[in-house]
Amino acid sequence: MTLGVMIGIASLMVIVAIGEGTKSKVLNRIANMGFGPESFSVYSGAGRLFFGRNRNVTSMTLQDADDIRAMPGVFIVVPRQRKRMRIINKKEFTTTRVYGVSPEWQPARQWKIVDGEFFNDIDMDRKRKVIVLGNTPAYKLFGDKDPIGKKIRVGQVFFEVVGLLETKGLTESGYDPDDRALIPLTTSMSRLLRQTHLHSIKVVSTHSDLVKQTMDGVTQILRRNHGLSYLADDDFRFVTPEGIMQWVTESEQALNRMLLLISTVSLLVGGIVIMNILLVSIRERIREIGVRRCFGARRSDITQQFLFESVLVSLLGGAMGATLGGALSTALKNLDLLPAKITSDPFILAFGFSVIVGLVFGIHPARKAAFLSPDETIR
Amino acid sequence: MTIPKIIEIDSINKTYKNEGLETNVLKRVSISINEGDYISIVGPSGSGKSTLMTILGCLGQATSGSYILDGEEVSQLNDRQLSQIRNEKIGFVFQAFHLLPGVSAFDNVMVPLVYCDKTPLDAEERVKKALIRVGLEHRMDHTPGQLSGGEQQRVTIARSLINDPKIILADEPTGNLDSKNGAEIMSTFDHLNAEGRTIIIITHDPAVSKHARRILTLRDGQIVSDIINENFKESQASFTRTAIE
Repeated sequence: MTLGVMIGIASLMVIVAIGEGTKSKVLNRIANMGFGPESFSVYSGAGRLFFGRNRNVTSMTLQDADDIRAMPGVFIVVPRQRKRMRIINKKEFTTTRVYGVSPEWQPARQWKIVDGEFFNDIDMDRKRKVIVLGNTPAYKLFGDKDPIGKKIRVGQVFFEVVGLLETKGLTESGYDPDDRALIPLTTSMSRLLRQTHLHSIKVVSTHSDLVKQTMDGVTQILRRNHGLSYLADDDFRFVTPEGIMQWVTESEQALNRMLLLISTVSLLVGGIVIMNILLVSIRERIREIGVRRCFGARRSDITQQFLFESVLVSLLGGAMGATLGGALSTALKNLDLLPAKITSDPFILAFGFSVIVGLVFGIHPARKAAFLSPDETIR
Repeated sequence: MTIPKIIEIDSINKTYKNEGLETNVLKRVSISINEGDYISIVGPSGSGKSTLMTILGCLGQATSGSYILDGEEVSQLNDRQLSQIRNEKIGFVFQAFHLLPGVSAFDNVMVPLVYCDKTPLDAEERVKKALIRVGLEHRMDHTPGQLSGGEQQRVTIARSLINDPKIILADEPTGNLDSKNGAEIMSTFDHLNAEGRTIIIITHDPAVSKHARRILTLRDGQIVSDIINENFKESQASFTRTAIE
């Protein structure tokens, strides 16, 4: 009978743990994406955040980046090309995200170089075939050996490794920020991807208060440059820290709603089962009720006794549920399935809900027991 | 000098309704009982004995008529007040003992004290005394299942006495006992009556009813005879003697 309450409380605990975990995951993820509050990105193609509706939009160009750079309040602009490609070192190979970026990428992201150095404006001007590796592809291609100065092949083009990015480590969601390689944008345009349109532009404004204003300016510039009519939709989309936060929260909310439903139904079922068990036990214990009434128990005494028992049973289920919920949350966290953070709040919540279920579903049987006529109970 | 009345019942009726069918269980029953009296109510099954007992014990209300217990009109009282009367003025002894299963003799005797307005400070002391009085000092921690029938009935007597009630209401107290244990229980009642307590015993056993000073006979919900047992002292003695022999 405690099973329903147990499942209900366990789901509640997991919900809270996931909620907490999601919050810290989102913050963590945003921090890892190198988004400060004063920066945002504008991606080519309509859609939402990382999900473009059309992959073949070619309207975003270096001209857009230059125009944005000329705006007041803009601090750094990083035009980017991006493609998942296979990179090869002799017999070792791996697939990683290859970004063509301008040298401003590094100050914009403030991502340290642990070995070698980042490519500079000269590399950019000369369209040099140099590459900076993240830790993941570097380790896969070179193991513990120093990759600096080595040649690797990206597609059909050979690049010299000039720098190694600091390791960030997996985020809680399993996203690997180290799984990337960076080459000069000009090299990417003329030698590797052989295309001139950009994948996205990262914009850092001089102050976080200016972000909204800057985004409006960027919209105007891009719409004008892309020759969009008054009625046409944007052919680009913004990725902002708030946007990501909102997106992750929304997707976790769907899961939370489901768990909340499960916990509500379980608590309800558990409560009804407790109620019925109590109703049956009243029939079994009718003599006891009669005896207590004979020797002076008031209706309120009998009500209290049965309510106490129902709360006790519910609390027992709650305690088991809290244990199960705690274990599940820990498992989710340790197995990296879902973000979960264990705090003391759900335990208090579990206690509260158990008491409430016990009281709500105990009151009917308890009153029923109390209002049995004493002369009928004793026969 | 007039002896005060403890129970005055005046033309009480009790009607049960069962699926639209009305049954008159008690018809204009009037009884008046003096304080310290020793009454037995006899009658065949279905005569209304048990119903009369529930009314006397304030476990149920009469359909009509008046019941004055120790100067209070019971039909006017609410559940709380009735509970208090049961707790303070009446001690029940049942045929089937009705002890709480799985609970020690000590805790069973404690039950009425739990429902006092104020649980007395010397509660444990009182429970011990009551159990010593019925000769069960060595069985205090035993549960009903570990006690014999006679011992269980003695626990119920200790329980009924714990709040020092004016009235002891016993429903077939010897019904589930052998004659030896029955005799012991009856002699306990005799002693309690000698101390001045009002005893009302409901029975269909003539040997038991002869212990009483006054015997009421109930038939078809009406009192058909009300006799004074002139030589009740002798019959008490002889009953006990024959049982022991």
